[in-house]
Amino acid sequence: MGIKWLAFILSLGIFLFVIELVRRERLTFKYAAGWLMAALLAVFFSIFNKFLFAIAKFCGFELPSNFIFFGLLCAFVFLGLLLTVFLCQQNDRNDRMAKKIGILEFELRELRKEISKKD
Amino acid sequence: MTSPASRILIIIPAFNEQASIHNTLKEIWALTSVKPDVIVIDDGSTDATAQEARSSGAHVISLPFNLGIGGAVQTGFQFACQRGYDIAVQVDGDGQHDVSYLKAIIAPVLNEDADMSIGSRFMPQQVKGYRSSFTRRLGIGFFVHLIGLLTGCHIYDPTSGFRAYNKKMIKLFAKNYPHDFPEPEAIVLARKFGATIKELPVVMRRRQGGASSIRYFKSMYYMMKVTLAILLDMLKTRRLAVDYGD
Repeated sequence: MGIKWLAFILSLGIFLFVIELVRRERLTFKYAAGWLMAALLAVFFSIFNKFLFAIAKFCGFELPSNFIFFGLLCAFVFLGLLLTVFLCQQNDRNDRMAKKIGILEFELRELRKEISKKD
Repeated sequence: MTSPASRILIIIPAFNEQASIHNTLKEIWALTSVKPDVIVIDDGSTDATAQEARSSGAHVISLPFNLGIGGAVQTGFQFACQRGYDIAVQVDGDGQHDVSYLKAIIAPVLNEDADMSIGSRFMPQQVKGYRSSFTRRLGIGFFVHLIGLLTGCHIYDPTSGFRAYNKKMIKLFAKNYPHDFPEPEAIVLARKFGATIKELPVVMRRRQGGASSIRYFKSMYYMMKVTLAILLDMLKTRRLAVDYGD
């Protein structure tokens, strides 16, 4: 089996796996969209690899494999940064909720005290 | 001048302070010069801090998990903001802060001489109490100069958590308050909004129990982190200004 087929099967596998994760509601479309686009792009380049070679040559890479590794490295650095942003957002939301819950719980306790006093 | 009947709230952030919280509250109840409301923010303690505080007669907000000192204090500000308090005073739950200085700390805010007042251990010619370890004092010295450089305001004790705030500051900090090691950052934030800050000499004691949240102070980590946070805060003006104007 040639590398072309291996790349095609792997890319298609990732594409189908992401769809399956969305179907099982383990992944929302909002977060799956990027993975689907990347998998589709990989499927495209595995079939029409001449485009990949042309882009690599255009960007000045001697070997297309170097271009792929460089592209993947950039993509993962960007993804890592993006995930950190999401993590911070979630952390901030958790903090806000925790403060609100704390205050609401206090007010609930106060209300219960008042009601039991009236009774 | 703020009305003599100003509503004052003492915010006590507490994380695993069961050994000291009772005494801290007892000292506050014993005050005759001021009669503030007290809210203890139990910051996800795993010991009996909340029960101890309640049995001592304080109101307690229990956070569902540990947010850190900044998160706990900000909860207090949000509570003060919601309830319309005129003055908020931050007092540590570990017994380090001598609440007999409370009236002195509140005075500049009450008289509208300052938006925020800080109880300081390091003002010149003051009575010396507990002044922290040598390495911590080195770090504090560094922040004195950094804050002075960035804000033009010389604060002798930027890490002191014994502070009083007026309504304007309560509103600001209810929305924006630094989280990890907030005291030096809060000064920079306050100054950016044109707040006037006054320092008053106080004598502090050693903590009566529990463990300090600044365990990393021995290393350079704390200094680096806070310095970076302060410098980044300087870039946040626009967003914070929008928030403050809400």
